[in-house]
Amino acid sequence: MLDNGRNEITDENAVGLACGGDPEAFSFLYEKNVTRIYNYIYYRIGSSSDAEDITSRVFYRAFGHMSSYVEKGVPFSAWLYRIAHNLIANWHRDNQRRKEVPLEDHLDLPHKSDQPEKWLEKNQELELLLRGIRRISADRQQLILLKYLENLSNAEIATIMGRSEGAIKSLYHRALIALREEMEQIGYQPE
Amino acid sequence: MQSRFEQMNNKSFFNLEEKLYNMLKPVRPDPVFIDSLKTKLSHTPSVILESSKKNIGLLVVGAGLFAGALTLWILTYIKKIRE
Repeated sequence: MLDNGRNEITDENAVGLACGGDPEAFSFLYEKNVTRIYNYIYYRIGSSSDAEDITSRVFYRAFGHMSSYVEKGVPFSAWLYRIAHNLIANWHRDNQRRKEVPLEDHLDLPHKSDQPEKWLEKNQELELLLRGIRRISADRQQLILLKYLENLSNAEIATIMGRSEGAIKSLYHRALIALREEMEQIGYQPE
Repeated sequence: MQSRFEQMNNKSFFNLEEKLYNMLKPVRPDPVFIDSLKTKLSHTPSVILESSKKNIGLLVVGAGLFAGALTLWILTYIKKIRE
């Protein structure tokens, strides 16, 4: 119990408390999920300022709809990913010709001054890889990012994407084929 | 036994998976943004009205009708005073 007599917020009760209008419980959920949602959005769109904007909208929308949220035994993050997925689709629809922003400021790449050639090579490779990822379908992008950024299992991804585990395995295989084809088209060879 | 084509295919997938694993690393969002969003959320009422283009359209039409009616009333009023 907390000092003021309220129940302590835990992973198990946070969603229930937040649905009941507890702002601290929502803050708890926010802190647990904000970085992963930001990452997912950032890699999907490639701009930190737009990623911040969409991340804000995801949490405002979640906050505004908490009272109608129904727990169905799936992680709370699955709902947030779904909101993010829809907002990203809207963003792509509205900003088809928007310019992408370089990723170098945020990524954990070797520093320019240490090994400039290695840094440049790795950065270019990453940009090509990301360009390839952004050329495949939204579902496939989502799967690749959840698998490699979040290190989620097929079962967890299936829950988030509302599909069976078998469907995810099949989608993953198709995603790799599509990604390889896109990479070849843009002149990238993964050796 | 796998054909040469399948072996090449699997190798190519393995390389691509390895690249994805090695290159897709989480980024660090700006802590100022994270803190400021948290503060804004904690000071926001739980019911949020999202803006809608439909509502904006209705508002513009309503404002236009009101302005028209007001102008008409003023003109009628001025006319009455002159008479």
